[in-house]
Amino acid sequence: MSKASLSMRPALQGYVLLAPALLVYLLFAVYPMIDVIRMSFASWNGLSAESRFVGIDNYRAVLTQDPVFWGALWNTLWWTALAVVIPNLISFGLALALNQNVPGRSSLRVVFYLPVIIASIAVATIWKWMYDPFFGLFNSLLTSWGLSDWIVDWLGDRKIALWSVFAAHVWQSVGFSMVLFLAGLQSVSLTLIEAARIDGAGRWAVFRHVTLPALTPTITIVFVLSLINSLKAFDIVYGMTGGGPAQSTQMLAMWAYTQSMQLGDFGRGAAISVILLLITLAVVVPYMRWMFRNPEDAR
Amino acid sequence: MRFKKMAATAASALTLAAILAGGAVRADELKVWTLTFDNNSANGAWTKIIKDFEAANPGIKISREGRSVDEHKAALRVAAQSSQGPDIYFMWAGLGLGGEFVKAGLSKPLDAYYEKYGWDKRLTPSAASFSKLYEGKRHGVPYTFHGEGIYYNKALFEKAGITSVPQTYDELKDDAAKFKKAGIAAFTFGGSVNWHVMRLMDVILEAKCGADKHDQLMDMKLDWSTEPCATASFEELNDWSQNYILKPFMGIDNSQAFKLFLANRAAMMLEGDWLVDQLRGAKKLEGIDLFPFPTGTDRLYGFAEYLYVSAKSAHPDDAAKFLDYLLSDKVQQESLGAFGSISVNSNVKYEKVDALDQKWIDIFGKYKKIYMNGDQAFPLDVTTEYFRVINEVASGNMKPADAGKTLQTFISNRKG
Repeated sequence: MSKASLSMRPALQGYVLLAPALLVYLLFAVYPMIDVIRMSFASWNGLSAESRFVGIDNYRAVLTQDPVFWGALWNTLWWTALAVVIPNLISFGLALALNQNVPGRSSLRVVFYLPVIIASIAVATIWKWMYDPFFGLFNSLLTSWGLSDWIVDWLGDRKIALWSVFAAHVWQSVGFSMVLFLAGLQSVSLTLIEAARIDGAGRWAVFRHVTLPALTPTITIVFVLSLINSLKAFDIVYGMTGGGPAQSTQMLAMWAYTQSMQLGDFGRGAAISVILLLITLAVVVPYMRWMFRNPEDAR
Repeated sequence: MRFKKMAATAASALTLAAILAGGAVRADELKVWTLTFDNNSANGAWTKIIKDFEAANPGIKISREGRSVDEHKAALRVAAQSSQGPDIYFMWAGLGLGGEFVKAGLSKPLDAYYEKYGWDKRLTPSAASFSKLYEGKRHGVPYTFHGEGIYYNKALFEKAGITSVPQTYDELKDDAAKFKKAGIAAFTFGGSVNWHVMRLMDVILEAKCGADKHDQLMDMKLDWSTEPCATASFEELNDWSQNYILKPFMGIDNSQAFKLFLANRAAMMLEGDWLVDQLRGAKKLEGIDLFPFPTGTDRLYGFAEYLYVSAKSAHPDDAAKFLDYLLSDKVQQESLGAFGSISVNSNVKYEKVDALDQKWIDIFGKYKKIYMNGDQAFPLDVTTEYFRVINEVASGNMKPADAGKTLQTFISNRKG
């Protein structure tokens, strides 16, 4: 190694090491983002060589004339709110249960984690078959239990279709958060728990005043990951309903894709993507600010 | 000195590699992009056609890539911006789906090749007519020409006391009422693929509006919100879906609907001539017959699928040569039944065909005009809204009286 490289300042060394990753990030994350913003002010069909600047026309059309946009926005927000709460509560419960000395807990952990490693499109196919109104598992069970009146068109009835897809999402995603919670639970200091018990704390008091505070960083990570993943929900909905029936399960990310790649209106697709980006930033940035202001809480 | 020698050797090696690479390009690899096919006979036919063509033309190599419908459309869009796209691509005929690519300048005009190979002398005029839809130039060659009609279960017709097929739309509705009385679902549709239920709306529009008004509605020259026949058609769609279609149908697709039809759960299915091959595969030809949807007009419900030569193709002559081979009497005769009941080549002889194939041949012979599927007549964005409105009406979530207005609002708002 040369003297020059040996004497390189640590900061400079850091920049040199960061440079490849930074370059890739700029090329594949920052540049496309800037290009999407540019495209949202243009009209382009994806076929012709030239695009045309149209100002805010795409935004105006999306917000005032698109019969699907507001439904897709509502579905995205609904999905996000539920996806942040329901699967994570189940995950937390599972993690607490599987953190105990129950027989076969290793196998059970594998069983609950298994859906996470299945591709979303495969999960969609599995659940689509289970939801089949004529030959599917759920309606067959209802029939065999003499509950034929309860048979529903799980993916064809707009009142329940999104719930049906959400159930599949819960099945697929609980394992991921469960593993994070388990890791968090195993890092809780046994000394503190023991000390609390010696001081007379019951099970609930130990959980409330020792376990839960120790899990704060894990809960924060799970919350943020769920939030971001939910806002960009796409594959499982696409695989199960394609946005139907009658666009009633459409999501913003999928609608942006549909506008661009299926209808050939890249300007409107980009405008929807930018709106989704702004919503994501509006939720995530305040959290990031809070995290950096309270490093102890977020650690 | 030594460095110069090494550099010269490296340059020579690079030049040789470039020449070899150039040589590989000169082997003229033609890329053909089609859909993936559900029936094995179509896949088998394509494999044989390519193999035989390559054997007869050693300088040309064909690589075929098949994709699902949406993937195919997306891949073509991506390819439009690069030189890595196909030489020949599949697309439906008409001003909607196929027309979009023609309008964007991505299809090479084939007038010279029509002239050179005399394609008009061997193609059926109705199938070839779609190539003339574009102003000034001819684009694409017909790959298939399809008709859609009503397949019916003979035993269920008998069970419902129906002794002859309906000749008018009103008779069809009367028969549907007889089926309902007998506890039989008249039709099965798969609502999760939007275009399946759309077929019912298309034929109702033809029956209720007549040929001229139907065409004007699809051309967006008539106002859907004020045209009484449009509202009447949505009312009919609502009536069919609430009373005569096997429920539930919005959560299943066309292939599930077909399984239900095979399982005698519904009496009729509105499908294309390609279903004959699927019925043959399921060994169900015997109990099924078919008739055109009775609309009262002299037009057949159908569409054509085309193969277009890309404007970016570096080998348009080879591409045309392959298309000429594909359309030849020999190939079309050998592939008969693989792509559809009827060939686009008028010289093909139909011998030893099944009764349902013969029925389609007779139907194609009888009708001289066609009306196209809505998703091929409308631009893509309007098609998406047309699907949404149809699904809303069919599932009882939108009043038929509001449907035309909703669709017209979208049409009026669209740019260009």
